[in-house]
Amino acid sequence: MSNDALILALSADLTPVRRRNSWGEAALLLALAAAELALVLGLGLMRPDMGRTIGSAYMLWKLGSLAVLAGISCAVAVRSFSPMASPRGGLALALAVAGLAIGMGLLVAPGDGGGVSLVDRLAPVRGLLCAASIIVLSLPIMAALAVLMRRGAPVHPEASALAAGLAAGTGGALVFAFCCPVNDPLYVVVWYFTGCAAVAAAARWLLPRGFRL
Amino acid sequence: MRLSSISAVMAGAARRPRALSSPEAAPDAWGELMAAAQDGHGGAYRRLLREISDWLRRYFLRRLPQGDVDDAVQETLLAVHRRRHTFDPRCPFGPWLAAIARRKWIDQLRVLGRRPTEALPDDLAVADHEAAVTSASVLASLLEELRPAQAQAIMLVKLQGYSIEEASRETGLSASAVKMHIHRGLARLTAFIEKTRDVE
Repeated sequence: MSNDALILALSADLTPVRRRNSWGEAALLLALAAAELALVLGLGLMRPDMGRTIGSAYMLWKLGSLAVLAGISCAVAVRSFSPMASPRGGLALALAVAGLAIGMGLLVAPGDGGGVSLVDRLAPVRGLLCAASIIVLSLPIMAALAVLMRRGAPVHPEASALAAGLAAGTGGALVFAFCCPVNDPLYVVVWYFTGCAAVAAAARWLLPRGFRL
Repeated sequence: MRLSSISAVMAGAARRPRALSSPEAAPDAWGELMAAAQDGHGGAYRRLLREISDWLRRYFLRRLPQGDVDDAVQETLLAVHRRRHTFDPRCPFGPWLAAIARRKWIDQLRVLGRRPTEALPDDLAVADHEAAVTSASVLASLLEELRPAQAQAIMLVKLQGYSIEEASRETGLSASAVKMHIHRGLARLTAFIEKTRDVE
């Protein structure tokens, strides 16, 4: 087919399109995360002592860090679905913030760390369950981001997919943080990182598959 | 957009010289044409696609072997069509188009790396001199980023039309080594282009 024939075919019977609205997409993700949190809390899965611990340095660190990370990575992912934006700078910022959050975790006194062995602090079986819960909770946000990515025009699809995975993982971790009864920053850093990394890796592998600009 | 303003945009576009050196240099009448196209104005869209296809042809002629230019132009036009709803009329059209074209360039280089290499037929039409001189000049300059053996294999087979056997005789390497250098060289080149913000 010649270029002229292609142009004629594309412009014939042209229908109006609805312009992409990145603020609307961000609002959709926020509403989805809020609905997921409301559902989890509505099911009575919130940790029982939340009223007492919500103001503690540990809980402020955990919820605050995850909220900031989820916000940054969601913004980076949604922004990168436009051809005009590259997600690389945003991803570097998210990694720097994650590093800072881990560093700040060292300043937060472990609730039950004194005199307990490393294996006991990490509690691998419970930790794996926590990581699996984060993965499950990240699925709705991941699905929404996958749809938004397919509808958008990311020109760095692999990096956009990674940003989407990070957004979904940290979003799922934020919701899970309201349920997790463990008060040890080391446990949170290791197992939350494991859950988020698994979601980000799966998104990086899955989302660009079959994607065609 | 009202019909009168669309007509004004189209009249302006008709007066404008067709050969613009870069989309960034284009007055944003292209953006206005695209905004009209988003609203369903087929005439504005046809004019826009014709104008950008000229620019895309020049863009890919400097970046791809001549035989791949038409495919790249058509792939980019299809991408523009599929993703036209992502253009924000408040932003300039040029960078939007350039980003899509760059992605298509990377995709086309990947296709080039996967495609089996065959000798060119003797009766293949010869391109005009200007095209031969300017063709793939950006790609040729990027070969400096590769190992000399990779650059030489790509230059001979992909840009100058040698067969694998001819390139093998020219370089003194085995045919499989030439193929491997082409494959790895193009993979490295696409990775370099992806990481580099502005490639000229």
